[in-house]
Order: sequence, then C-alpha cells, then structure tokens
Amino acid sequence: MKTITIDPITRLEGHGKISIFLNDKGSVENAYLQIPELRGFERFAQGRRAEDMPQITSRICGVCPVAHHFAATKALDDAFHVEPTSAAKKLRELMYMGYIIYDHILHFYYLGGPDFVVGPDAPAAKRNILGVIEKAGVDVGKEVIKHRAYGQKITGILGGKATHPVCGLPGGVSKGLNKDEVKDIEKMVKSCIDFAKFSLKLFDDIVLKNKDYVSLIKSDPYQLKTYNMGLVDSKNKVNFYDGKIRVTNQDGKEHIKFDVKDYTKIISEHVEEWSYMKFPYLKDIGWNGLVDGKNSGIYRVGPLGRLNAAEGMATPLSDKEYKHMFETLGGRPVNSTLAFHWARLIELLYATERAYELVNDKEITSDKIRNPVGEPGEGFGVVEAARGTLIHHYKLDKKGLILKANLIVATTNNAGAITMSVRDAAKGVIKNGKVDDGILNKVEMAFRAYDPCFACATHTLSGGMPLQVDIYDNKKKFYKTIKRLGE
Amino acid sequence: MKKTIILGVGNPILKDDGVGVHVAEELKKHITKPGVTIDSAFTGGMNLLDLMVDHDRAILIDAVKMENKKLGEVGLFGLGEISAFHTCNPHDVSLIEAVDLAKKLGHNKIPKDIKIVGINIGELGCEFGEELSSEIANAIPKAVELVKKEVESNG
Repeated sequence: MKTITIDPITRLEGHGKISIFLNDKGSVENAYLQIPELRGFERFAQGRRAEDMPQITSRICGVCPVAHHFAATKALDDAFHVEPTSAAKKLRELMYMGYIIYDHILHFYYLGGPDFVVGPDAPAAKRNILGVIEKAGVDVGKEVIKHRAYGQKITGILGGKATHPVCGLPGGVSKGLNKDEVKDIEKMVKSCIDFAKFSLKLFDDIVLKNKDYVSLIKSDPYQLKTYNMGLVDSKNKVNFYDGKIRVTNQDGKEHIKFDVKDYTKIISEHVEEWSYMKFPYLKDIGWNGLVDGKNSGIYRVGPLGRLNAAEGMATPLSDKEYKHMFETLGGRPVNSTLAFHWARLIELLYATERAYELVNDKEITSDKIRNPVGEPGEGFGVVEAARGTLIHHYKLDKKGLILKANLIVATTNNAGAITMSVRDAAKGVIKNGKVDDGILNKVEMAFRAYDPCFACATHTLSGGMPLQVDIYDNKKKFYKTIKRLGE
Repeated sequence: MKKTIILGVGNPILKDDGVGVHVAEELKKHITKPGVTIDSAFTGGMNLLDLMVDHDRAILIDAVKMENKKLGEVGLFGLGEISAFHTCNPHDVSLIEAVDLAKKLGHNKIPKDIKIVGINIGELGCEFGEELSSEIANAIPKAVELVKKEVESNG
C-alpha cells in the first residue's frame, strides 16, 4: 500500500495533516485529515473571573477574535441574567458585520479565490493574492486592500482595538458611537456595498461564465449530502449575531430548530482514535461513521451550511443573490463544497447591507448601552463565526468565577464533513497513483473551501497552506517527497 | 531621528509563543526615547503590516524555531532571513507576502528597515497557559539588550 501524506509545514507539533492511502492499483483506498485542537482550555479557564472571558477567548484564535469575543459576551449576558439594551445589541451586531466584511474578503481574495481567479492547475507560486492582482489588475488589488482595511477599521472603532476587542460586557458594551464615528462608518460601509457587488460580478465573470469551473463545482468528488446548520432569525433568514440554531435535512426541510441552551441535547461528539479532533453529530440521527446521507448525523456549518439551513437573506440585494445561487445550482440544499465560495460572497454583500441598516439606525448613537447585571449562574452564547456556528458555555460560582467552560468551535462542527470532502476529492482526482501539484491542489481545494481553522498551525510562511507530501511505496518504504512552500 | 515601532508578537495564552509580548512589556521599562513606540500584537500578515505603516523602522520580537540551536537562543534577523514567519493564522498572508503586496500596489509608508528579534522556542505544544518555560523566561534579558542595542546603534 502506498501512503501519501499532505503535511502543512509548521513549526508546531500536531499540525494539520492529510494522509492518503492508495491501494495496489494506485486508487485511493481512504484518506484522513487531522486537525489539531488547542488543549486544556477548560483547565485554563477554571477559577478565572467570568468577565475576563471575552478578552481571553478572543486570544484563542487570531482569525476570529470578534466571534469569540461576542460568543463569550453573550454567554455572560445569559450567565448574569441580563438582557443587553437594544442599542447595545445593535452596536455589537454592527461591529460583527465589520468582522464578517474583512474576514470574507480575506478568504475570497487571498485564500479560496486564487484557485478560480488564477486557476486550479496554475503553479502554486501563482495561486495567491499576487497572482490575483496579476490577473485582475493592480486597481482591483488596491480595492481589496482598502475594503479589507475598512472592515478592520469598523471593528476597531467599535471594539477599541481591531485585533483585540475590549468592548463586550455582560448587559451591553463599554463604548457607544458618536455622530462623527457614525459618519465615518457609513462612508466606509457604502463603499463596501459596492465592493461586495463588484466581487459577485467578478465571481460571475470569472467562475460562472467558465464552463469548466461550473462543471468542477458540480462534479461528484465535491458533493456532500449532509445536514446543514446555521443561526436564523424569526423568519428563518440568515443571522450572524443572534437567533435560533436551525438544522435542515437533505431535502432542504427543517429537521430541528433549537435554542443554544439545548445544544447538549441535540449535539453529541464522536471520538476517533486517529485524531485529536472531535466529530460532532446530531444525537437523534446518531453516528454512523464518516458517511453522508439522511442516516448520518454529520452536518455542515459555515457559509454554505448557513445558506442551506435558512430560507433567505434578510437584506434585499443579498436575498436576490441567494435566490440566484440556488436557481443556478439546482435548488436548496446545494451540496457542492466549492459553492462555499459563492455563499461567502453573498454573505459579504449581506454583511455590508446589514451594516448600512445598523449605522443608519437612530438608536445607534444612544447612550443607553448597558443594563445592570444580576446574580451569576450558567450561561450559553452562540454566534455565527465566519466559518460557522460557535458556541460558548460557562458555569459560574457565586463570586462570578468560572467553574466550567466548554466551547464548540466552527471547524470542529465541520470536522466530519471536511474529512469526507477531502477523502472524496482524493478518490475522485487521484488515479493510477499519479500525483502532481495540480492534483494535490484539487484535494486541497476541498478543505480550503471550508476555510478550516487550524488553531495550532500558526506559523507558516504563506497563507496558502504550504505542503509537504511524503510518498511511500507499498512496503511503506520512503519513495519521494514533494515540497511546496507556497512561495 | 527614525520613527520606530517595536512590536512583541505572539499569543500570551499559548505559553512560550507569548515570549515576544513578555519582552515588549519589559522593554517599556527600559526605553523611553521619543519617537519609539512599544506595543504588542497578537496578529500577523496584513494586520501586522497595518500596525507598522507610517514608521521608518520596525523591530518585531517573536518566538521562532531555529534548527540546531539551544532553546532560548536569541538572534537578530532581517525579514528575508526568516523562512517561516509568523502569520498568526493560516488564513492570512505572511508578513513577507504582505510587504511584497503593499510594495506592488505602490504603498510608500512601509518601514524601510524591518528587523526581527527571534527567541528560539523549538516546537510549541498546543496547550493553553500563561507561564513561560524557564529556558525561555531566562532569554528575556538577552532579547531586551539586543533590542536596546538595535534601537541605539541605528537610531
């Protein structure tokens, strides 16, 4: 048996790794993805002051500090039995939209998009933002940089520090907005709406008008028929900041809708001996191995999971794009993993429109930004991180110190689906033992679509997931190495 | 005089990874020169670049892995000498890429002089904690001296 290991080069132990096992004919027998998880958070959190959690958890991950910040803040609202003021909720959501804007721009233009804009078979050295600029032009590059920075600035104005928010407090926020700040944000948001529209047009021109890309998106190796999960508002529209968690089935029908406080009744976690990562699944359906279909409790979260789990977007332009996507790809649910990229851009447009609504809300400059807290207890918080549903759950003692903390992060929710997507892509594209850079990239594209968060893979040369591929012959003897450093 | 930013880079709740932040904190007691800003950054790539623009010089202090060197070894590097620089997350671009990108787009406010003071922490585990291991904690004074010397000699 031949073993191929796709191994991101990091300086850390336990980093993400793909191992592909070939049979004697050179076809893929099986594939495993290992994503490390940071360990010991529960122990680390125990005994700390609960109100420090929004700051501490925002340091768990350099990718989504804002998502952790607000999942923690919302869990504290609940734990201290306080409802934030209406203005505070709007300020939090506006800041959240800034985060979605910069994160989705970053992913599309820097990480996922290059596969399409530059091409999946292009040399690795070209499949990055610099390649995108070469193809789309320097002016587009300047717009990308500008609007990513706008998203950062919006979160910075509201959050105190863009990369380390300090504004969330149980019952509200620590800082409101003045009229000048509102003007600044409105100007940036307006520009972001145009940029989001431009991005969807770019996707249309470059991807959807290219028959090869469309057939790649629709091709079998990239299909996965799992359940889908995401937060929705009272009309079942996508919401990032608040709402109920909705799960839809393979027919696009509602399977269950629940409040985050019931998450332990709905979700269970399966453990595989080859991975540190836990595999969440729907309890009522059960764990039936790494398979898709109605009898497998595995579900997907993130941009495509959210759009599949909802019945539309709550803003007019993004709702139009939502309908367009499902019409083009054959109705809801869309099961194509590569459609994550399209869904991400529709969400980008939504975030800009929603930010515009919020910044123009009369209450946004209100000084009623905090309600007094009650006695400490148990609390649950949920938000939609850019990569999917994120849950924080704390138990506090009488002094407000943490007794118990549990987090379910987005990439963990997607663990089963990512593993299957990688396996299916490998099976689909590796034939007769032929493995080259372009083929490996098509395997990589399957997990890059999810934008998985390798919490520990923090030190890499390039954002493009440098790879080391070790190939062994059928006696497990070292055969050769392919190194790709991303640059 | 050169407008200088000194940034301790790292995650202070990921044990030795946070050593750069500890060094930056210590430096605040030693350097009070006008025109020199000392801060810490739990970020990389584009965000790190954002913090550096409008300065003539940037000195980053970060945990690095050096092959065949003792734990706690401290070294001064140019940006091009680091082969695997902190991006903080796999979603962002590296600082090297971010600098290249900014130059390509005609950005003219990037520091001309970017130096990295690296502290060798070897392999990093994936466990939370605020404490540094003793070899790494003992390296802090050396790193502080190196940054001070760099600030003085090329000021």
